Amino acid sequence: MLKELIFDSISLSVETSSANVVENAMAETVMAETIEQRLERCGVSRRAFIQFCSSLMIAAPFGLAITDKKTPEEVAAGLGKVARLPVIWLHFQDCTGCSETLLNSSHPDLADLILNVISLEYHETLMAGSGLQAQQALSQAVEKYSGKYICVVEGSIPTKDKGVYMKMAGRPAMEVLADVGGKAGAIVAIGSCASWGGIPSADPDPTGAVGVADLLPQQTIVNLPGCPPNPYTLLGVLLQYADSSTLPELDDQRRPKFAFDRDIHEHCPRRAHFDAGHFVKQFGDEGHREGWCLYEMGCKGPETHAGCSTRHFNEIPDVWPIGIGAPCIGCTEKSIAFRVPMFQVIQIHSLAAPPTTYAGINAPQGIVSPLATGLVGIAVGALAGAGFVASRKFSTQRSDDSIPGSPPPIATGTPDPGPSEGPDDGPKASA
Amino acid sequence: MSMNDTTGSALINHWQRGVPVYRHAVVTPGFIFFAALAALGLALAAARFFSPLGPFSGMNDAYAWGIWKTFNVMTLTALGSGPLAVGIAAWVFNRRKLHVVMRTALVSGFLFYSTGLLALGFDVGRPWNFYSALMPWRWNSESAMLEISICMPLYCAVFLAFENLPLVLERFYYTGGDATQWILRTISPFLRRIYPYVIVGAYVLPLMHQSSLGGLLLLAGDKINPLWQTPFLPLLYLLAAGLCGLGFVTFLLLICGFRYSRPLDLGVLGELGNLLSCACFLFLAVRAGDLIWRGQVHAAFAFDTMSVVFLFETGLILVPAFALRSKAVRETPRRLLNMATLAGLGGMFYRFVPTTIAYKPAHRAIYFPSLPEVLMAIGYISLGIVAFILAVNYFAVLPGDVEDWNQMSKLVRWRIPAPKSEAVKPERKTSWPASLSTP
Amino acid sequence: MSGISLHPTGGHPISRRQALLGMIGLGGTITHAIVAPALVEEHPAHPVAALDAVSMLYDNTICTGCKACMPACNEANGLPPDTLQTGGLWDMPADLNSKTKNIIKLYQEPEGPGFAYVKRQCMHCLDPACVTGCPFGSLQKSDWGAVTWNSSLCIGCRYCEVACPFDVPKFEWDHFDPKIVKCEFCYDRLHNHEQPACTAVCPTGAVIFGKRTDLLAQAKDRIAASPDKYFENRVYGEHEAGGTQVLYLSNVSFQKIGLPKLGNTSLGHYATKVTSVIYKWLSGPILMAGILGVVIKRNWNRHEAESAAHEKETGLHSQL
Repeated sequence: MLKELIFDSISLSVETSSANVVENAMAETVMAETIEQRLERCGVSRRAFIQFCSSLMIAAPFGLAITDKKTPEEVAAGLGKVARLPVIWLHFQDCTGCSETLLNSSHPDLADLILNVISLEYHETLMAGSGLQAQQALSQAVEKYSGKYICVVEGSIPTKDKGVYMKMAGRPAMEVLADVGGKAGAIVAIGSCASWGGIPSADPDPTGAVGVADLLPQQTIVNLPGCPPNPYTLLGVLLQYADSSTLPELDDQRRPKFAFDRDIHEHCPRRAHFDAGHFVKQFGDEGHREGWCLYEMGCKGPETHAGCSTRHFNEIPDVWPIGIGAPCIGCTEKSIAFRVPMFQVIQIHSLAAPPTTYAGINAPQGIVSPLATGLVGIAVGALAGAGFVASRKFSTQRSDDSIPGSPPPIATGTPDPGPSEGPDDGPKASA
Repeated sequence: MSMNDTTGSALINHWQRGVPVYRHAVVTPGFIFFAALAALGLALAAARFFSPLGPFSGMNDAYAWGIWKTFNVMTLTALGSGPLAVGIAAWVFNRRKLHVVMRTALVSGFLFYSTGLLALGFDVGRPWNFYSALMPWRWNSESAMLEISICMPLYCAVFLAFENLPLVLERFYYTGGDATQWILRTISPFLRRIYPYVIVGAYVLPLMHQSSLGGLLLLAGDKINPLWQTPFLPLLYLLAAGLCGLGFVTFLLLICGFRYSRPLDLGVLGELGNLLSCACFLFLAVRAGDLIWRGQVHAAFAFDTMSVVFLFETGLILVPAFALRSKAVRETPRRLLNMATLAGLGGMFYRFVPTTIAYKPAHRAIYFPSLPEVLMAIGYISLGIVAFILAVNYFAVLPGDVEDWNQMSKLVRWRIPAPKSEAVKPERKTSWPASLSTP
Repeated sequence: MSGISLHPTGGHPISRRQALLGMIGLGGTITHAIVAPALVEEHPAHPVAALDAVSMLYDNTICTGCKACMPACNEANGLPPDTLQTGGLWDMPADLNSKTKNIIKLYQEPEGPGFAYVKRQCMHCLDPACVTGCPFGSLQKSDWGAVTWNSSLCIGCRYCEVACPFDVPKFEWDHFDPKIVKCEFCYDRLHNHEQPACTAVCPTGAVIFGKRTDLLAQAKDRIAASPDKYFENRVYGEHEAGGTQVLYLSNVSFQKIGLPKLGNTSLGHYATKVTSVIYKWLSGPILMAGILGVVIKRNWNRHEAESAAHEKETGLHSQL
C-alpha cells in the first residue's frame, strides 16, 4: 500500500509532454485536496490519524501553534482542514538517514499517514521515476508550486572546486540548491548535514561541505539538526506551514525553539543518577546494567540541544541512544558532533540543578595555615624571649637612674633589698 | 646640672628636654632587619592592591575581620593612645613632669595610628568608594564604623600631625639656612597661638573614636561572649586605650633608655607608673562593676576556656594595678618595666579578644590569619619601628638632660645659638646625620 | 611631688568668665543626659513593621527538600552555580556564600531517623543591624521593607557581616570588585509586581509570599489549627531581634535548624542607646571640647609663662 501511495502522489508528475494539460489539471485537483479528504480516500483510519496527532503533540508539547494547548481531537480537526503541502525533497551529500527516519515508524498505519499529510512532489529515493523523467518531474513541480512549496534539503553541499563533488543531473549541488531553494516558500534543512555540514564536513573536509544556511543566508531557512532528527519535528514544521504559512519561532541558529530550546541533560531520564553520582565506568559494568548515567562515558547531553530525551524514536519508549545505553554523541551540535571524540568527557557549563545531598546546618568554614601559625608562634616566642632578655638588663635597684644595661654607679648607701622580678638579680650592685 | 626643682617645667634628674640620638649609628643590623620586614609587608600590600582580598588573607565570611582591623587598628592604636593619656594627664590634670615625655608619646602614637590606618586602607574591599567620607549627606550617623572612618584619619592627619609639627620644625630651624629660619620664626607665633585649641581637638577626637572602636562590637550582640559583651564596651575600650597608652609610653621610654644608653628619670617614670596604676584600677572597677550588674560573675569563674581567657587578661591588669601602688616598684627600673609591659599586654588582650577569641559566629567556623596576612601585619609594625628609629635619630624626641643637649649640638652641629654669656658666632651647619664616631 | 592631685587648675583661681563657661558646659551635659533620651527614639527597642511590609513564611513541615528555590534564585539573580565541592558537576554550596543567596539545609537527628529542612536567606529584619552599622548607607531598608545593597556606596568594610545576627551577608573574597551578596527579596521582581523567584517556584507552598501582617496571621492560624505540631507554638521572626520579615514555622527546635536564639530587642537599639544621646547634634563632643578647652587654655597659659621664664633664664628654647 505504501508503494501505491507513493506512486499515487508522485507518478502524476511523470509525464510526457502530450499529457501535460490533463495531468496539470489532475495535479491541481490533487493539490487542493485537504489532508482529511486524502486520508479518507486512501482508507487511513481516523484512529491512526489521532494517534499521529498525539505523537505530534508529544514531539511538540509547546511552541508549535498547531498543537499548542489542544487536545488530540482538536489537533486532528485542525489539521484535517489543511490542504496538503507540496514538498520538494532534495538530496545532496547525504546518507538518506533523514528520509529513513521519516519512514521508520513502528506502526505501518503511521508510516502511510506521514506520506499522506504532505504531498511529496520529488524525492529521489522514493519516487518511481528516474533519469530524465525525474528531472522533468522536478522542474515541473518547481514551476507549478513556485513560491508555495517547501524545499526540504537533506545532506550537505560541497563547495570546493566549484562544487563538483556532488552533481545532480550534471549540475553541481550549489546550483540546484540556488535554483530550487530560491523558488521555495521556505527551506527546511533536515539533518545535521544540511544544517551545518554534518559528517562530510568533519576533518579533513575534502569537499568543503557546508549547510544550506551557509549558502543561502538570506532565505527563510529552518534547520533541523540531528543525525537523524526526530521525524515529528519535521512534520510539525511542515504542518504548521501548511496550516498558516508561518514557521515556528526559531533560535539564533534557525532551529525551532519548540524542539531545540533545551538540552538533553535537562530532561534526561537518567538525570537522577547524575545527581546522585551514579556513573557508568565501563560499558557492561554493573552500573551500565542498572541504567546509570553515562556522563563519564562521554555523554554530550549537557551540551546538546535536542528533544531526544523526551521524544525518543520509532514511537517506542527508550529507543534513543542513552536509552539503549550509548552516550549521546551530540549529533545536533556543530561544535561537538564529529569533532569531539565520542567518549571524551565534556565540561558542564549550563546551570546545574541541585543534587541529592544537602548542606548541613553547620558547615565548617575557615582553614588554619600551618605556616602562618608557625610564624606567629616564632614571632611571639622571639618577642617574649627578647623582652625577657632586655628586662634582665634593667636594674633592680630602687631609684637607679643610670643607663640601663650598664653597671650601676658606686652606691653611696645600701641598695633597697626588695625582691627582684627576674629569676636572678640584675647587675650586682658594687659595694 | 641636676637640681631639685619642684615646680615649673624644669625637671629633676635627667629628663629636661628632648634630645636626638646622636651617639649611635642609624643603620644597624636591627634597623636593616626591621626595614626588610617593612619592605616585605609593603610589597605584599602593593600586591594586594591589585588582587582580591581572598588570596592575601585567611578571612572568611564567619570571621570577616582578620587581624588588620582587630590587631593593627583596634589593638595597636590603643598602644598609640599615649598622646591621649599622657596629654590629658599633662595638660588637663597638670602633671607637669610629663611634658618632657610628650614628644615620645606623640611620635609613637602618630606612628601607631598611621600604620594602623595604612593597614585599614589595604583591608577594605572597595576603597574606591571611600570618597563618600567627604559627603556628609551619605553618612549614616548611627554607625560606629562611620565615626571611626571619619574621626581616625582626621585625628591622625590633622591633629596628631600638628602636635608632631613642632619637633619636626625644630630640626629644620636648626639645620636650615637663614631663609628657613626666618620663615619658621614668622609662623611660629601663629602655631603657638592655635596649639592649645588643636590639642583640645586632639583629646576630644580620640575620646570619640577609641570608644567607638568598642562601640563597633555592640552590634555583634550575642556573637560576643557575655563576659565581654556589655553596653559599657565603649567606656571600657576607652579606659583600656588609656592604660595601654600609659603602659606603652613607660615601656618605650625604658627600652629606649636601654637601647640608646640614656639615663632614666625615675621621677617621671614613677609618675607614669602611678597614673598607669590608677588607670588600671579604674578599668578594673568598671569591668567588675559591669560584670556584677549584668550577673556574669559566675561565668568569670566557671573555668571554661572563656573564663580562663578572662581571668588571664584581668590578671595581666590586676597585678600591675596593685604592684604599681608601691613606690618601690615604681622607682625600680626592672619592676616598672615588667609591670608596664604586663599592663600593656593586658590592655591589648582586652581590646583583641572580643573580636577574635570571644567572637563566635552563628555557624561553626575557625579563623587564623594566613601567611601573607601575618607578614603584612608584621610589615606595618616594622614600618612604624623603622620610622620611629629614624625619628629619634633625626628629631629631638627622646628625653635627655641639658648636658646631653649641649654635647649633641657640638657634635652634630645643630645651629643652636650659644647661651647668652658667650658671644660666639654659631657654626655653619655641616653634614647630617650624626657622625659615626662614638666618644 | 606628693600624690595625685586632680585639681585641674592646680590651685590657681579661675576668672568669672571661665567659671561661667565651665558651668554652662557642665550644666548642659547634665540637662542633655536627662532630656535627650525622652526626645527622639531613633531605634525603638521593638520596631513596628510598615503597613506594606512584605514577608516570606517558610513552614518546614511542608518543605520536601526539592531545592527548586535554589536554582530559581540563582537564575533570577544572575548568579553562577557553586560547583566548588563537586568538581564542576552541580550546584552544591555548603552554606550561603557569594554565589548563593538562598539555600536549603538539612538537619538530621544524631540518633534516629528524624530530620528537618530549613530554608536560609536574609531575614529582612524590621530594624536590621547591618543597616545600622553600614557607614555610608549602602545597606538600606528599601521599598516594602526589603533590605538592599548599593554597590556605589559600599566600601567593603564588612561590618554588616559582623553585625548580622544571622550571619547572612557574604563577601566576594575572590573578586577584584567584591560585592556583598545576600537575598534582596528579588527587588526588581517586586517592582514588576512579581513575587520573589523562590516563592514563585516552590511546588508545595512551603515558602509563600505576602504581606507580613497577613502571613503572620496565617502562621498563627496554622499553629492554632495544629497545636503542638510547631515548636513552642510560635512563629520565629515575629519578635526575634525586634522582628523580621521572614517568618519560620518549624516542627523542631529553631536552634537545631540553625536559627540563633535572640532576644526581642533590636540590635540597633542596643548599640545606639547611649551613643545616640551623646552624639545627638554632636552635643557630647562639643560639650567635652568646651570643658577641656577651658581647662587646657588655663594650663596652657601658665605653661607658656613658665616656658618663657625658663627660656630667658637658661637660653634654651622651650620644646612643645
